[in-house]
Amino acid sequence: MPETELWITKIFNDQLAGLGNMFLGLVGMPAQARPWANFITMQILVAAFIIVVFAILRTRLSFDRPGKLQHICELTYEFVAGQAEDQMGHGGAKYMAYFATIFIFILISNLIGIIPGFEAPTMNPSVPAGCAIATFLYYNGVGLRSNGPIKYAAHFAGPVWWLAPLMIPIEIVSHLARPLSLTIRLYANMFAGEKLTMVFLSLTYLIVPAAFMGLHVFVALLQAYIFLLLTMIYVAGATAHDH
Amino acid sequence: MTKKMILLVMILLVASPMLFAQSADVAAQTKAYAAIGGGIAMAIASGLCGLGQGKAVAGATEAMARNPGAIGAIRIMLILGLALIESLALYTLVIVLIK
Repeated sequence: MPETELWITKIFNDQLAGLGNMFLGLVGMPAQARPWANFITMQILVAAFIIVVFAILRTRLSFDRPGKLQHICELTYEFVAGQAEDQMGHGGAKYMAYFATIFIFILISNLIGIIPGFEAPTMNPSVPAGCAIATFLYYNGVGLRSNGPIKYAAHFAGPVWWLAPLMIPIEIVSHLARPLSLTIRLYANMFAGEKLTMVFLSLTYLIVPAAFMGLHVFVALLQAYIFLLLTMIYVAGATAHDH
Repeated sequence: MTKKMILLVMILLVASPMLFAQSADVAAQTKAYAAIGGGIAMAIASGLCGLGQGKAVAGATEAMARNPGAIGAIRIMLILGLALIESLALYTLVIVLIK
């Protein structure tokens, strides 16, 4: 299916085609006529939006008279911190930076698809794959740093030592299946939501496609929360200290 | 009973060249079979996913009714369980969409 260009992608392709081809050349791919894809420019827009919002927030932080933006960001932080405390107890505060970043990024990426003229970058399989690989590297890195490499590898052997030859392949396959399932879950939910809305829009008029679009919004929020929850569960499992 | 079975098998064997005859266009046929297979696969996946999620919701609501103090924890488990079961049906959707 030919991909139509958004107005942002059109601007990027018209002005910055050389920059895009330079990035392609860095990874060894051939130069193309219109190198910027929709999901790349939308990701850049989402990241820029988040940075701008937090930069504005930083100048307006106040202890005595918090403004509306500060209230919203405090609510988000409390939400993520509450979830982390549920999953991991008091050790969760160390990993708040990554959790909050991934949650806010995926949430805004999902929701920006609702606005006409923008497309959710998570609709393209590359973006959830990137988030899932980042989570995979993060929880393994955190587990290695927290437990040490030998004790972390000992996790794979299971509870008793003589089950190890059976448990190690099972654990390795299950660990490798985690980023795959995170990717497919996020990508398929976003892609199916948009396709469903389009199909119903081509069938009937106002109420039914709007209902499915509402379902898509709910699913977008839920999938961001699920990604956050699973990231926390994996980090909790990796940093579990057997006392 | 056995005679009828033997008669049925003989008729099927005789009629099999006519039953298995195909038209010349193989590529379109393959696409048609892929679409039919995809539809059946998605139907089975969604049906079983519906059953699984129904059981999850039933267990969760009963647990919440028995123990109103644990509603918060049960709600988290319910959402997580529903999303994981949903993702199994979505894997099938991805396979169908690829073909």
